[in-house]
Amino acid sequence: MLAFVARRVAAAIGTLFLSSVLVFLALQALPGDVATQILGKDATPDAVATLRKQLGLDQPAWERYFDWIKGALHGDFGTSLVSGKPVGGEVAQYLANSALIAVVTILFAVTGSLVLGILAGLYRDRWADHLISTVSLVGMSVPEFVVATVLVLCFSVALPWFPAVVLYGPDASVGQLLPAVWLPALALAIVMAAYIVRMARTSVIDVMAGEYVTTARLKGLSTWRVVTRHALPSALLPTLHVIALNVAWLVGGVAVVENVFNYPGIGKLMLTSVQNRDLPVVQAVALISAVVYVVCNLAADLGAMALNPKLRTRGRT
Amino acid sequence: MTDTHHPGRRSFLAAGAACLGASWLLSGCSGAASGTVLPAAAPKGTPDRGGTLRIARPPASDAETLDPASSLSAYEYLGALYNRLVRVGSDGDLAPDLAESWETDTKARTWTFRLRKGVTFHDGRAFTSADAAYTLRHILDKATASPQAAVLAPLVDPKTLRTPDAHTLVVPLKSPNAEFPSLLTHYNCYVVPDGSAKSVGRTGIGTGPFKLESFAPAGPGRVTAYADHWAGRPVLDAISFYSVADMSARANALLAGQVDLLSQTNLDFATARVVAASARATVARVKNAQWYVLPMLTTDKPFTDVRVRQAMKLAYDPEHVVKVALQGAGTPGWDNPVPPDDPLHISAHPAHDPDQARHLLKQAGQEGLAVDLYTSAYDPLLTPMALAYQESAKRAGIRIRVKTAAADSYYTQIWMKKPLMATYWYTGRPVDQLFTQIFRSGSSYNETAWSDKDFDAVLDRARAETDATRRRELYGQAQNLVIEKGGAMTPMFADRLVGLSRKVRGYAEHGFEFDYLGIGLKGA
Repeated sequence: MLAFVARRVAAAIGTLFLSSVLVFLALQALPGDVATQILGKDATPDAVATLRKQLGLDQPAWERYFDWIKGALHGDFGTSLVSGKPVGGEVAQYLANSALIAVVTILFAVTGSLVLGILAGLYRDRWADHLISTVSLVGMSVPEFVVATVLVLCFSVALPWFPAVVLYGPDASVGQLLPAVWLPALALAIVMAAYIVRMARTSVIDVMAGEYVTTARLKGLSTWRVVTRHALPSALLPTLHVIALNVAWLVGGVAVVENVFNYPGIGKLMLTSVQNRDLPVVQAVALISAVVYVVCNLAADLGAMALNPKLRTRGRT
Repeated sequence: MTDTHHPGRRSFLAAGAACLGASWLLSGCSGAASGTVLPAAAPKGTPDRGGTLRIARPPASDAETLDPASSLSAYEYLGALYNRLVRVGSDGDLAPDLAESWETDTKARTWTFRLRKGVTFHDGRAFTSADAAYTLRHILDKATASPQAAVLAPLVDPKTLRTPDAHTLVVPLKSPNAEFPSLLTHYNCYVVPDGSAKSVGRTGIGTGPFKLESFAPAGPGRVTAYADHWAGRPVLDAISFYSVADMSARANALLAGQVDLLSQTNLDFATARVVAASARATVARVKNAQWYVLPMLTTDKPFTDVRVRQAMKLAYDPEHVVKVALQGAGTPGWDNPVPPDDPLHISAHPAHDPDQARHLLKQAGQEGLAVDLYTSAYDPLLTPMALAYQESAKRAGIRIRVKTAAADSYYTQIWMKKPLMATYWYTGRPVDQLFTQIFRSGSSYNETAWSDKDFDAVLDRARAETDATRRRELYGQAQNLVIEKGGAMTPMFADRLVGLSRKVRGYAEHGFEFDYLGIGLKGA
């Protein structure tokens, strides 16, 4: 058990390092550097040379990368080439804003889709099941930015209930961001829901066909009690795994949706810093995204192992 | 273990498609609005006093500054916070700003500016000639790296500026230039306080109608009315600026009533129709605000041959391009880069002649010419223009292959690198600046790399000519040379479709001029 965990953690650290190298290489492969990207049409040779010197770009890229890695290992992520602010603080600010969306999304998606999934499972092959399955599949198949735009048109333009975009910068307070969180969270939740709905549905169908449920029914328990006391806990276990993976996916999905809502989160920061070729910021964001992804996968694996005796003992044989 | 594979489309890269998706959706939903005729002008009437105008703007970069001379200046703030010595009036002629009058000696070698009295900066200091001289030195300072330095440096030696008294600035020029004051109308030339190079980027202290309350690079900011402004108090109490990078997000903010005006945003036709049909917002036009160009690199084959360049121009019909790409919302350019409403514009031009184009190509040994034309999603009109050109030039047997390049590196990888591409500029440059910056041999913005001794000589003569009529003729000759021999095709000047709230009154914008004094809200 311990050896398994240690192996997984070592692999996770290796993944993080590899992702950092890959992001660096990808960024080098993109045309242009910070100076030319910022200046655009004004990128006259003089202006580019002045800016490069100001930004310390006259050093080779590899050297800058190793400087960055050295600093990052000591917890110093360097300073943004564009804004000149320390990357650590900047990223933390954006990350906190994204976390707000993520928490609301997960609450929406998990509660909503568990309820729908269980309903679909209970009413298997009846109209409720078909409706829920079809709608959730459509939600999954439509890209999140389209869902987001439809939500904006409905709930900010036609019905002025929510703001269409966030007008504040990254230092906005939770109170300022809160009204703007619901639509992006809903858009992400709709896209995320289908997996959880289907997983919960299958689990419920499996569980409800089990002998102990039949026994419980024969004991005279009501359907409601059978579902809440017996079916739900067993159905939840495999679903947890899907939820963990979906949280990992959120890191990417949030980037797209944040842009539609001008939401000052980690996704928008990633997009602008890639466009600006702002190496330290891109590296920091990529690293954090990788950490979230790896940790979620690790949690999913360990969770599954804890729940499944077969997996738990395999390490010893 | 990880058996739930997420489809590849859910990747970070899809973000780029977000913009496309949103505008497609807007147009998809606009079935009812597609019949809407776009309004020709902003709502008329006088605004009520007071109120806060909310403007959404695209951020220049995360390193934005309020230093007007910088290439990273936050453009929308400049006109609110500062004044120039000279501005461009609504008739296209020069108008006084902080300079009340200006005159030159008989040879156009020394310019004297008489400065306005009783003008104060936002910190209470009086504006004097020392500030005006400092502003020029600041622009010319290498450390500022101002784009306008390239235009002014060949003319002005910062050491020779003289301030005989507190309200007179004397500028001796290295070479004669009768259009020199027009070069000071550029948005890099807003006047900053003496010695403020290090601080003005944050403080925004100027003499303009609004003073700075807050500013965050690529973030929100606010300016409030400056009661002691020399031209009187502005109509509004305050302006809030919000930065919204994505164009569809900006349009959504307007439709949802979160902002009142979208600056530096040319709405695509589908979005403009949705905006015009909405109850909250409408569309105003800035006539001929954008100059669209198909620059041919004159240093690359086949455009090294002037006959090929002429054939490329004669081959297509600008009227067709305006009809197809602009749906009529603009003016045919006829390859003359000087906007039709500029007082120095000449209207004569060769007629569309595909047969002559064929003939010229044959002479040049380029019959059945096939070339790549690069475009991108950087601006919504680039691709429609490229496709309209492609279709029109077919009649002369020219085969154009339209290639779409990435928008985010378009101006670093395609512009001035590929032999033929689509691009645009905002109009509002005075003729001399336009020719010096974009057409003269060796200028860093010369996007066709055109180098023509005759043209440079005509330009020099025009600049030195103090007689206005003669000078007009010479600038006319310069336009003819660009049309006949230059590398730039100008298919069209497009009206900018500006989204604004139905409450906005007194919106007036042309070139790089925005009336911050008079704009206001009805029912504010």
